[in-house]
Amino acid sequence: MSQVAIVTGTRKGIGRAIAEHLLEQGWKVAGCSRRDADIESENYRHFNLDISDETAVIQMIRSIKREWGSVDALINNAGTAAMNHLLLTPTETCRSILETNLTGSFIFLRECAKLMTRQNGGRIINLSSIAAPLNLEGEAIYAASKAAIESLTRTAAKELGAHGITVNAIGPTPIDTDLIRTVPKEAIDKLISNQALPRIGTTADVINCVDFFLQDGSDFISGQTLYLGGVA
Amino acid sequence: MALERNTISKLLIEILNEMGEDLEKPELTEADENTRLFGARSSLDSMNLVNFIAEIEERLSDDHEIDLTLANQSAMSRTHSPFRRVSSCVDYVMECIEEVSK
Repeated sequence: MSQVAIVTGTRKGIGRAIAEHLLEQGWKVAGCSRRDADIESENYRHFNLDISDETAVIQMIRSIKREWGSVDALINNAGTAAMNHLLLTPTETCRSILETNLTGSFIFLRECAKLMTRQNGGRIINLSSIAAPLNLEGEAIYAASKAAIESLTRTAAKELGAHGITVNAIGPTPIDTDLIRTVPKEAIDKLISNQALPRIGTTADVINCVDFFLQDGSDFISGQTLYLGGVA
Repeated sequence: MALERNTISKLLIEILNEMGEDLEKPELTEADENTRLFGARSSLDSMNLVNFIAEIEERLSDDHEIDLTLANQSAMSRTHSPFRRVSSCVDYVMECIEEVSK
């Protein structure tokens, strides 16, 4: 029987690539984004929602449970960024980034974990960023939100481990998606030059980590953040 | 969506009965509205209580298509927790259902 994954932020970029990859692997995938996505598969369901809208998220997850019976994996990918010096960062921007990157991920994690607890197993993968360990200038709130995601990952791993649920995070380098399109090239080049493996990342790099955390043999790995590009 | 209080009461007691069998706690298989849900005189530990609440949410969703979150700000900020006994929990679930029905 196909396994069921929920992937957030599937309209484009990393989320879309992960969703398409899992569909190719035979998973049933439920995705979401604020706007329509054009992933076409009989095993794909799309929900238009804001991930920080608790009611909408609960309805999505219960709807998937009713149709497919379980949720075996959650890939908490959806996120937003706003590059700015912190002196020029509006409070509303701060709230908005935390609402999407932290609160949205938390709501999905909590609601999926409720189902997984009763299934006695599941895999949760949160998307962090190398912005957190590198404390990147110009990304103060984004980096803080991802640091919070890493902390949430570690604590959730402890609280959910007894139920056979693993919770891990992936910290990608810059990847050529819309998220970094507005960042000056010099800033990206400088960042990449500080990586042990100095190249821009690809969605395939992230998918490789997703596959690793989802494979059966990874059931003894939890609470970890796996950074790409040789960032420690 | 209108559910009688008695239906909710039966649902909660049924869940406790099932948990009693799974956890091999006979006192839960004989639960009634006076059964305590937490504290020294409860048979449930904190994780059992979490699972109990999650199970209520799931049954309401699966059987009655009512989607709600019981562990919300309103429940957590009360002087007397709605989760102290089955009877108070039944009242609280009724309140939540009324809220989402508006």
